[in-house]
Amino acid sequence: MSGIKQMEPADIGKTFRRLDYETKVTGRAQYLADMSVAGMCHGKILRSPYPHARIVRIDASKALKIPGVVATLTRDDILNHPAIDPYYGPVFKDQTIVAVEKVRHVGDPVAAVAALDLDAAEEALRSIEVDYEELPAVLNVGDALKPGAALVHDSVKVPESGFADLAELKPVEGTNVCTHFRLNRGDVQKGFAESDRIFEDTFTLPAAQHSFLETHACIASVEPGRRITVWATTQNPFVVRTQLANIFKVPVSKVRVVVPYLGGGYGGKVYPKIEPITVALALKAGRPVRLVLTREEVFYTITKHAAVIRMKTGVKNDGTLVARECEIHLDTGAYAEIGPRVAKKSGYTAAGPYKIPNLKIDSYSVYTNKPPAGAFRGFGVSQSAWAVESQMDIVAAALKLDPLALRKQNGYDEGDKFVTEETLRAVGLKKCLDEVAQSIEWGKREEITGANVRRGKGLACMIKATITPSISSAVVKLNEDASLSIYTGTVEMGQGSETVLAQIAGKELGIPIETIQVLGVDTDVVPYDLTTSSSRSTFHMGKAVQLAAQDIKNQLKQIVVRDFGIPAEQIEVAGGKIRLPESVIEYKDAMSKRFGMQGGTLVGEGQVKTSTKNEFGEKSTSAFWFLAAGAAEVEVDVETGKLRLVKYATAVDVGKAINPLGCRQQLAGAAITGIGQALFEEIAYDNGQLINPNFIDYVIPSLGDMPPVIDPISVEVPDPSGPFGAKGIGESALIPVAPAIANAVFDAVGVRIKDLPIKAEKIFLALRDKDESGR
Amino acid sequence: MKKQIHLRVNGMERALEVAPRTTLLDAVRDQLGLTAAKLGCDIQVCGACTLLVNGKPVSACSYLAVDADGSEVLTTEGLGANGELHPLQEAFMDLGALQCGYCTSGFLLTAKALLDENPRPSDVEIRDYLGGNFCRCGCYQEIMQAIKSVAGG
Amino acid sequence: MLVFVVRVRPDTSTSTSDDHEWLRMKDFEYLEPTTVAEACALLRQYKGEARPYAGGAYLSIVMKQGLFQPKALVNIKKIGALKGIRFDPSEGLVIGALATHRELETSKLAKEKFPILSEVEREVANIRVRNVGTIGGNLASGEPLTDLAQVFIALDARVGIAGPSVTRVLAVEKLFLDFYQTALAEDEILTHVVVPPLPARSGIEYIRFSSSSVVDKPCVGVCARISLGADKKSCATVRIALGCVGPTPIRARKAEEILAGKTFSPQAAAQAGAAAAEESSPTSDLRGSEKFKRGIVRVLVRRAAEKAYERAVHASTSSA
Repeated sequence: MSGIKQMEPADIGKTFRRLDYETKVTGRAQYLADMSVAGMCHGKILRSPYPHARIVRIDASKALKIPGVVATLTRDDILNHPAIDPYYGPVFKDQTIVAVEKVRHVGDPVAAVAALDLDAAEEALRSIEVDYEELPAVLNVGDALKPGAALVHDSVKVPESGFADLAELKPVEGTNVCTHFRLNRGDVQKGFAESDRIFEDTFTLPAAQHSFLETHACIASVEPGRRITVWATTQNPFVVRTQLANIFKVPVSKVRVVVPYLGGGYGGKVYPKIEPITVALALKAGRPVRLVLTREEVFYTITKHAAVIRMKTGVKNDGTLVARECEIHLDTGAYAEIGPRVAKKSGYTAAGPYKIPNLKIDSYSVYTNKPPAGAFRGFGVSQSAWAVESQMDIVAAALKLDPLALRKQNGYDEGDKFVTEETLRAVGLKKCLDEVAQSIEWGKREEITGANVRRGKGLACMIKATITPSISSAVVKLNEDASLSIYTGTVEMGQGSETVLAQIAGKELGIPIETIQVLGVDTDVVPYDLTTSSSRSTFHMGKAVQLAAQDIKNQLKQIVVRDFGIPAEQIEVAGGKIRLPESVIEYKDAMSKRFGMQGGTLVGEGQVKTSTKNEFGEKSTSAFWFLAAGAAEVEVDVETGKLRLVKYATAVDVGKAINPLGCRQQLAGAAITGIGQALFEEIAYDNGQLINPNFIDYVIPSLGDMPPVIDPISVEVPDPSGPFGAKGIGESALIPVAPAIANAVFDAVGVRIKDLPIKAEKIFLALRDKDESGR
Repeated sequence: MKKQIHLRVNGMERALEVAPRTTLLDAVRDQLGLTAAKLGCDIQVCGACTLLVNGKPVSACSYLAVDADGSEVLTTEGLGANGELHPLQEAFMDLGALQCGYCTSGFLLTAKALLDENPRPSDVEIRDYLGGNFCRCGCYQEIMQAIKSVAGG
Repeated sequence: MLVFVVRVRPDTSTSTSDDHEWLRMKDFEYLEPTTVAEACALLRQYKGEARPYAGGAYLSIVMKQGLFQPKALVNIKKIGALKGIRFDPSEGLVIGALATHRELETSKLAKEKFPILSEVEREVANIRVRNVGTIGGNLASGEPLTDLAQVFIALDARVGIAGPSVTRVLAVEKLFLDFYQTALAEDEILTHVVVPPLPARSGIEYIRFSSSSVVDKPCVGVCARISLGADKKSCATVRIALGCVGPTPIRARKAEEILAGKTFSPQAAAQAGAAAAEESSPTSDLRGSEKFKRGIVRVLVRRAAEKAYERAVHASTSSA
């Protein structure tokens, strides 16, 4: 193949060809659906046709008479099974492996089958008889919160222990409120009284789908002795391991989760998805089972939260933000999934990246009879920022202030207090704003290009937190030839983590990237990592790998002290060599001296555990902060409402760009997903039925939808805790897109769209209303 | 009701037994073990399953294998030659035209077909030809650059 | 190519999976006739449970959705008579049913005689669908959210249809009966499309309006053709065809009447747009509300007519 061109020591701040590339461009990379296991049979899931119904009777007995069918799975197999706890869920135990008493959304798994081939599996599904008694369904948050509304869950099991950051959030019994997060600061009534102007708006956005091209898939095998192995498309193998251990009542050591390269995740592959049902089938079948979801099934498995956000903001005439009251209702669907944390993150960021002394924020996740909503790149902040950043421009227009100046006037600086009263550090917000403004030539009016076309510019910014506290651990092995193997639980799902981790270890040890192998994820082998999400891997796992590499350096130093008799203070490990006052020792020579032959291994370990206390001794909600801004230039056809995105600039405070091309990919890529959500993505329902679960009717941006220019800009304000100052960047660029475009539309044609997506129709109708009211 | 078909896949003669409803994607993946092409949307939209049949990109998820009888089929596994990668593969790596890699095979083959037809395409022609391929990681700008770098060379 | 299916809730309380899974295609017989007569005989033999198969762009989708499970597919791709694109000075452009979208897009003949066809094809679906999907299949599917039909209608194109015993010719306008329903009998095959030569001094414009992605199916598609009289001022013949705003593509006859026989003016074009909006019968769906689609028809018809007129004038002066 291409071969090793030149062996230079690894570095940071320099673009390296990614380590996962050659296997991917040659088609050799094995994704889960490419894999098979000896003896494997094929699973299929029977799903509910109703949004809400009681299961009166279920009978799968005919299925087993079909040639080729190996096993069936219904509630009868999981209830009263001594070795199965059918209830699970990342926050509350409100999910079951298959439906038990009732189905709660269209597509809810009711039964499953395993067969020798897919034809038999499909025929088996058709042979399963289910009698349903339809129940009244709640299909949006408004209906779900009405007094006397049908309850999605009569009661919810809360586990004894769970995520530390969510301990205070509980379901409200007897209602459909899954969780209610509250944030109060100052005196909001006094704040409104002191304000010159009060703005009150409601913003909405629909459910969306992650649309990774690789659907969820799983191969599970349960060997005698209840040794469970799953090959899973998951972003957090260790959480899946814990959940499977709890469900199947075995120690975590008995559960092995292997994760191949993922064909995209974007938040839609965190927490258990189809792993519990696949393991249950494999257990029943007594042989391995592979389950690969269809595209339609993915839409029933996980979505992004739809939201209704009411925002009331008090402002001084000079633009100073004084008070805000905000109510956020997030449609979490039939199961809590990670909705409680989404509600919390939405609530925390309802003040945006702005200093607002008086706040009253109520953020709810609400159960409805729709497919579950969970994590989605941006995690609750793309919901709150849609409201925050749209309203900023409403304020600016009313007060005749420049939207950029208004943001900088109120925006966070280094050392400011976040809404939680913790001190912010490494805050590149205003740099990001200046960069995107410069990129789209903010303030410069563009020539009008046609009789019916108007141009406009808009910008937006954001602040987001990462999951805290959390844990990442890394092990690195220095081999006898001074090559390095890196063991981590970070899942390579396209973000380039393998390369970044190798660059960090290589830089620390002064060795070429070509001599480093980053291993795939296997929970039997790699140490614990909480999750590959929340834009956390470079910061947390990068640091853990750096510490592990430093551990190796210390061990090398100790070898030289002990085996060469050199005083420690005279030894420096740098530039890939052990440096003594008058000579250098190669790593492999030190190894050989230590082990007495060409052999042996040095094992380095690094652990990062972030704390709920920061370095100022304050309660901390985030180990580091993401700051970003985006700016859009649009053209709007005033007769049809058709919008054309001319340019999009995105600036993200990356701390330190370890792999600059990798950063640009993350920024531009997240922006493109943001463009899809801003302009056309929307899951549509009719009476609880999802009516566009396919890529013809659920439209995502294709290459042809790309604006002529996307300008990804990495701003570097180093975070002292990150590896070489780096922060996480996976989600940031997505968040400002929708409000930046809405603000540009307002700038172009003077209409304010408050409901996503910003389709031509909405602009068309708003322009017509404006014309009529103007007459 | 199976039929025997003959294909020339990546330059090698292959004889397969397929049912009429077997898609070319299933035949190539399951029977020939060539898994570079992926099932994405299953309805000819996303382009992840693209294969070249007689040099032209098709959605293999919806192309009947029986219909390909007698055809020349190229998969990404057959893109390089003589142990060398295809220049598009090198350009995709150098310019960062992929992230998760699931769409990559489809983009590479479609880009190859474009350059075979039109060695120096304009930006508009690249957009017309690849406009219907999805990369959810959003590497479109890098993909355009990679194709242009090969076309320009 | 696309079917938007509003899922129908099962009407019994016992339910199986059919309503909610995209399952794989059921198996079928695969027949390969080499003549049109043979193909029609096979279709007759299966009494509606067989379909002609060419590119499969449309069929594969309805079969995967389980909307149609044929006993047999009659592959007509080996029938040489259905292939190719040719031009006959008296008849016009003759497009074989098996010509793919891509063949029409890139056909030198089509580009020379009817460049509008090439322009429209550039925007149809994606390169893969254009490589396999055929002109015959596109029309025979009766798919309402499409582009070509309205252009053919504006060009007064006809289709040739062959049955087991007779062949017939039908205006494209008369081909479509309802959503996914055409005038083709179960045992008939659409053999070719004939686009007659345009009168001198003609101009045509098609506007495809997508409400989201460039690769989404059209929300509205409007085609206007104006052929000027010998005075080079009056609109001798006017065709305005609307797509995606009803169960079938339609001609907006009232809009045509407003322009026909008169000297073109922007005011008349605007009136034609308003009339076309009235004549259309769009339904609200994912691609837009009824109100919006009517509003778009109004604007696009005006714009298309203006552009068609401009081109007609240009054709008159350059040919003179």
